[in-house]
Amino acid sequence: MLDTAAQIARFRGLLATLTARELKARYRGSALGFLWSLINPLLLLAVYSAVFGWILQPVRGGGVEPYALFLVSGLFPWIWFSSSLLEGSASLVTHAGLIRKALFPAELLPTVAVAANLVHFLLALPVALAALAIGRALGYPVAGWGTLALPAVVLVQLPLAAGLALGLAALTAHFKDMRDILANLLTLLFFATPILYPIEAVPVAWMRALVRANPLTPYTLAYQDVLFRGTLPEASLWLQMAAVSLVGWAAGAWFFGRLKETVVEAV
Amino acid sequence: MSEVPPAPPAPTEPGREPAARALLTVEGLGKRYRRSVPGDQLRTLKSALLEGSLTRGLGPEQAITALEGVSFEVPAGQAFGVIGGNGSGKSTLLKVVAGILRPSAGRVEVRGRVAALIELGAGFHPEISGRENVYINGAVLGLSRREVDRRFDDIVAFSGLGELIDEPVKTYSSGMYVRLGFAVAAHTDAELLLVDEVLAVGDEAFAHRCLRRIDEHLAAGGSVLFVSHALDLVEELCDRVLWLDGGRPRLLGAPRRVVDAYRQAVAEEEGREHLAAKARSEEPAPAPAGGASGAELDPAGEPLRWGSRRAEIERARLLVGAPGTVDERYCVESGEAVVFEIEARAEAPLADFVFGVAVTTPRGVECWGTNTDLAGLEARRFAGRGRVRLVCPALRLGPGEYLVDVAVHARDGSPYDYRRKLFGFTVTARDRGVGVYFPEHRWEADGGVEWRAPV
Repeated sequence: MLDTAAQIARFRGLLATLTARELKARYRGSALGFLWSLINPLLLLAVYSAVFGWILQPVRGGGVEPYALFLVSGLFPWIWFSSSLLEGSASLVTHAGLIRKALFPAELLPTVAVAANLVHFLLALPVALAALAIGRALGYPVAGWGTLALPAVVLVQLPLAAGLALGLAALTAHFKDMRDILANLLTLLFFATPILYPIEAVPVAWMRALVRANPLTPYTLAYQDVLFRGTLPEASLWLQMAAVSLVGWAAGAWFFGRLKETVVEAV
Repeated sequence: MSEVPPAPPAPTEPGREPAARALLTVEGLGKRYRRSVPGDQLRTLKSALLEGSLTRGLGPEQAITALEGVSFEVPAGQAFGVIGGNGSGKSTLLKVVAGILRPSAGRVEVRGRVAALIELGAGFHPEISGRENVYINGAVLGLSRREVDRRFDDIVAFSGLGELIDEPVKTYSSGMYVRLGFAVAAHTDAELLLVDEVLAVGDEAFAHRCLRRIDEHLAAGGSVLFVSHALDLVEELCDRVLWLDGGRPRLLGAPRRVVDAYRQAVAEEEGREHLAAKARSEEPAPAPAGGASGAELDPAGEPLRWGSRRAEIERARLLVGAPGTVDERYCVESGEAVVFEIEARAEAPLADFVFGVAVTTPRGVECWGTNTDLAGLEARRFAGRGRVRLVCPALRLGPGEYLVDVAVHARDGSPYDYRRKLFGFTVTARDRGVGVYFPEHRWEADGGVEWRAPV
């Protein structure tokens, strides 16, 4: 696990270059360019706001006004996390040519996916912050000093995203079905995480317990604390996040280290 | 040709360092791949997870052996060549030495850094410029950004891309792609260069620049592991050559000896193919109805056989060797004695007949042709079956492939049975040369001119 981290640290220059390449290449030739980093999450936000803010409002329960700002607090980080895992898990297969034909540090490929999506997240963040500022100016009790703790939450989540991306990438190289399994699993997890609704709004007790037991819930709660409420997450939340991140990184890096030698032959 | 076991590594006295320390040592190297079985992915994953290997504990029917028992050393300042047919394990060997693949058996030891030119430009991103790709490729090959900065102008100059370096790589031709890839790899200061069949892609001028660069690299004490089908280049460039056959070392030694043995084996294989092709073509030849010519056509639509069939050529073969030791084969060394033997049949007795043989290249260049009339032989009688032999004490054709036409016709040229491309054969030669004619020859000089005889 430490070797994987050391290897990534050793090639951090290459990691930065490759991430820049990934970002440049994605928008090269498109008219709106990096604006897509903003437009994509905003469109998704608009759809969810419309559906759950107006159409299904009675179902979702109240207490989280303005709803669009509640939604943005959980949704933007989730998009980062889920796209990181989706792209990261496919990265070894996508770049099979690179690792089959050159001595290339394979651990960088899933990590680049996580880093590139983090940049997209950071690019979209000013929009979320501006919206929160407007909300605050309109008199809603959103954002505040606690918002300054946002980078800390991102940093705590980073090892989880990177570790899972590594492990899933190595698994996908050997077991191609993983890609579809993961896509479905992420959809399931999205609805089992209190992004669209506050936990208290879940009417059935065992379902509430399930949402609380979801290892990704602490992160969403923390993002909602710092962004939507502008408060610092409680110590217990920090501990839960640290524990999940540690386990996620360790498990992912272990899987990757175990499968690394055979990946070249499998992709 | 008998199989020669690989030569042992350079002899060294016990307890003493060899004169030049090996930059690369390969010992008992083996590589096996798992045979891919549909629906076996979960078991593959389990084996990878639990054993850290895809092939451990697999029986011979579940694994493919790509390399077995390969050992050699490459001392500093030497170029080592690897030759062999497609699928002989050359590229696998290069990938194992590069560290991309893990050996299943044996060990690889490299003293120093390795730059693998296995797939030039592997890792180039089509959407971004050549300039940015140079930095990424350099980083993949272990150069820091500052190191690339320092060499950037040299790299661009070497690649000959000029202004185009700022265009997206997807607009490059495949030759430009390779040139840029080689330029980056050639500027990495690695001690060991692994070169896989890449010089074939660029133009002549670039190939020369690459060879100069490889020479400089060798002169500076670096080593090269060179895999190629360009046998002349291997012979010219390498100090020692390994011939791989089906993943196993077949011969290891001086370039000339190994390349010649390989060429000979290829020619023998081609000779066997000629023999097999001939056997197929001799399978029950349907006699054409009436006296009209048969409708056999070659792939180009040209007739292969025509004539009235008043006389018929039933069979023709090539016999090689001195009298007494002749055998039928279709691989000849230039200068060997050969006999073209024709078996023919005439239903009704004939008094007007000429037998002829012609040798052409596959592209239709006539090399040699003669017939009994040109030789001044006057036809008397041909009835029933008979054998005609054209004896040639020394066949001095240049190395290459040849096809043989055989005919029997009347003196005025009207054909009884004319058979084109009846069989083919391969000619090899100890020394190289171009053209179809290879007279006995040697080079001599006196005065201020001297040279070293080939090894």
